[in-house]
Amino acid sequence: MLIADALLQGILMGLLFALVSLGLTVIFGVMDIVNFAHGEFLMLGMYSVYWANLFFHIDPLIALPVSAVVGVLLGLASYYCFIKYLLRGPAIAQLFGTFGLMLFLQYFAMFLFSADYRMIDKGLLVGKSLSVGPFIFDWTKLAAGILSLIAFAVVYYFLHKTKTGKALQATSLNKEAASYMGIRTDRMNAIAWAIGGGTVGMAGGLLVNFYYAYPMVGILFVMIAFACVALGGFGSIKGVFFAGLLVGILEMIFPVFGHLIGSDFLGPHFKFTVVYLAYFIIVVVRPQGLFGWKN
Amino acid sequence: MKIRNAAVLSLVLFLSLLIASPAAFSAEKEIKIGVLYPLSGALATIGRDLQRAAELTADIINDKAPGVDIPMAQWGGIPSLGGAKIKLIFKDHRGEPDRGADLAKSLILDDKVVGLMGAYNSAVTKTVSAVAERYGIPMINDSSTSPDLTERGFKWFWRTTPHDNYFNRDLFELLKGLTEGKVKGVKAVPKKDLQNLAYACENTEWGSSVAKSIEGYAKEYGFTITKGLLYNANAPDLTSEAKALVAAKPAAMLFAAYLSDSLLMIRTLKGMKAQTKFFWGQDAGFEMADFAKTLGADINGVLTRTVFIDKITRVKKVAGQVNALYKKKYGDDLTGATARSVVGVQAWAYVLNKAASTDPKAIQKACNEINIPANDLVMPWAGVKFDAKGQNVLGRGLIGQYQKTADGKVSLEIVYPFDLATANFIYPFPGWK
Repeated sequence: MLIADALLQGILMGLLFALVSLGLTVIFGVMDIVNFAHGEFLMLGMYSVYWANLFFHIDPLIALPVSAVVGVLLGLASYYCFIKYLLRGPAIAQLFGTFGLMLFLQYFAMFLFSADYRMIDKGLLVGKSLSVGPFIFDWTKLAAGILSLIAFAVVYYFLHKTKTGKALQATSLNKEAASYMGIRTDRMNAIAWAIGGGTVGMAGGLLVNFYYAYPMVGILFVMIAFACVALGGFGSIKGVFFAGLLVGILEMIFPVFGHLIGSDFLGPHFKFTVVYLAYFIIVVVRPQGLFGWKN
Repeated sequence: MKIRNAAVLSLVLFLSLLIASPAAFSAEKEIKIGVLYPLSGALATIGRDLQRAAELTADIINDKAPGVDIPMAQWGGIPSLGGAKIKLIFKDHRGEPDRGADLAKSLILDDKVVGLMGAYNSAVTKTVSAVAERYGIPMINDSSTSPDLTERGFKWFWRTTPHDNYFNRDLFELLKGLTEGKVKGVKAVPKKDLQNLAYACENTEWGSSVAKSIEGYAKEYGFTITKGLLYNANAPDLTSEAKALVAAKPAAMLFAAYLSDSLLMIRTLKGMKAQTKFFWGQDAGFEMADFAKTLGADINGVLTRTVFIDKITRVKKVAGQVNALYKKKYGDDLTGATARSVVGVQAWAYVLNKAASTDPKAIQKACNEINIPANDLVMPWAGVKFDAKGQNVLGRGLIGQYQKTADGKVSLEIVYPFDLATANFIYPFPGWK
């Protein structure tokens, strides 16, 4: 009973983690760039819904497209104004470049919005819960889980069934070969950043329904996203989905075991130790991740 | 040639005197105190409030405040030091103990501060005070409440605030009071109805020591802890923590949380429709202005230990006057944390005035002998007087309860000590529908 409950809650959080990580893996797959500013896109997605809710009284769920659009624009702006130029430099420049972008966005948000914690208090689902038999679900988390799943499915469909999506996949498998086939890598890169920004912006919009926004919030989630991307295999869409679920479930279920065997030692304070331990073990045993193909 | 050498030498001497003299003169007029607070990162909001309160107090001392009825507000500087002004130099330790220690060192060696104040986080206060001890520079701690801090035999460390053991005992006195019918507006509750307690504390120095202390007092007062857990305050999710608490079905839920995790914890518990009779938080997050602002009516019936509630202004005039100044300038009421920052700077001013010198030894002596009367404080304390360990023995805590007001907001009412109660206690905790 407790385990079933933890499993369900874990799946909901896991779906959201997967959506947060999706953009990171798409960008990495296509460009071999680790976007350190990914968490800050999430943070700005959260703020966009928060402000839309506060100033225009738009329900946080209805404001969701706003966060996705903000994310897409951020992704595109980052690529065209910044990343594109970094590509000319060595790989290390790209690494530190996105790191710089992360710091810039954090402190810019601090400057614009101050360090205050902001939480949405009015909304269709905010603070409501759903009882199904013995289980109680927080509506906001339920919605976040379901909408994450839908968003994931849409991106998956786009990547696997559309021409552009296939071109994107081709680029991520072999950039040179793709460009010989007439695929414009520059455009593919931009699309990857748009998808990356859009999905994580939307994840932020979902998250702000039950989590507080503040300028440094990104780092908490991007750590998990890094673990998910590495667990699933760098660049693997399917991998990041299952890795997200795995992290969500591990995080919920571990403390329940502690409770069941009556040990306070195996309490919630070690839950992320377990998550990162799993990540560590998989990286050692299977460096390419669960579903990865890149070396 | 010799004459020219002498001329050059005297010119150099003259020039260096010119450069050095403003500093030499201003040293007489300005007393530098290094203040370490978390001004960025997760605790930036509270750090900012603490800084504001400290600055306001320094302004009251330096520039006089006619509307405030305490001697300090008429001083215009430190009287025994020729009206020297207090200059607070703020440093941001971001909640990191290592960084705090580095900053303390640079304040002492580079800025040549006379003394230190801060650092809010007990873990940072621990490292900062160790640096102060090594260099023989006095440190007055205004708001770190880990009991261990004054158990280290330090000679250069004093703490104005009561520590967590005082506050945790208050909690158990309140629980006991409930079973004995001493609480305003509540009939005696059978002890068995309140027997089982559960706590969740954040897992740094402060939270863990609260947890330890709760365990100890529970035993002493005859209550049972059915679940106790420590968690990471920066967690992206607290669902499993909340589940564990709910599963224990406790009569009382007790917390030691900072702001972000207290918001998340309450939202998460609300989402689970958690039920309990008594909901108490050990200050920090629970008593911040943003806590009530963000959660609104959701916290009707939630208790927080604190050391200051704006209702105190009804019984303490000076608290009202300082609070009015603060509110006028920053728009918020003073809280337990910010009011203690006021007392911290105030203690520094009284100590400096008593020492009549900026020599560390003289300040040390003044700290050991100081006795600030109750009437001069914004706090409902009996005064400030340090014991041999450096702990103020005249402080006491309050427990407040958030109660819904007619306009749908919440206000904090005093429910403990029983003689200061400003409203009927809401029992049991109404929970969330």
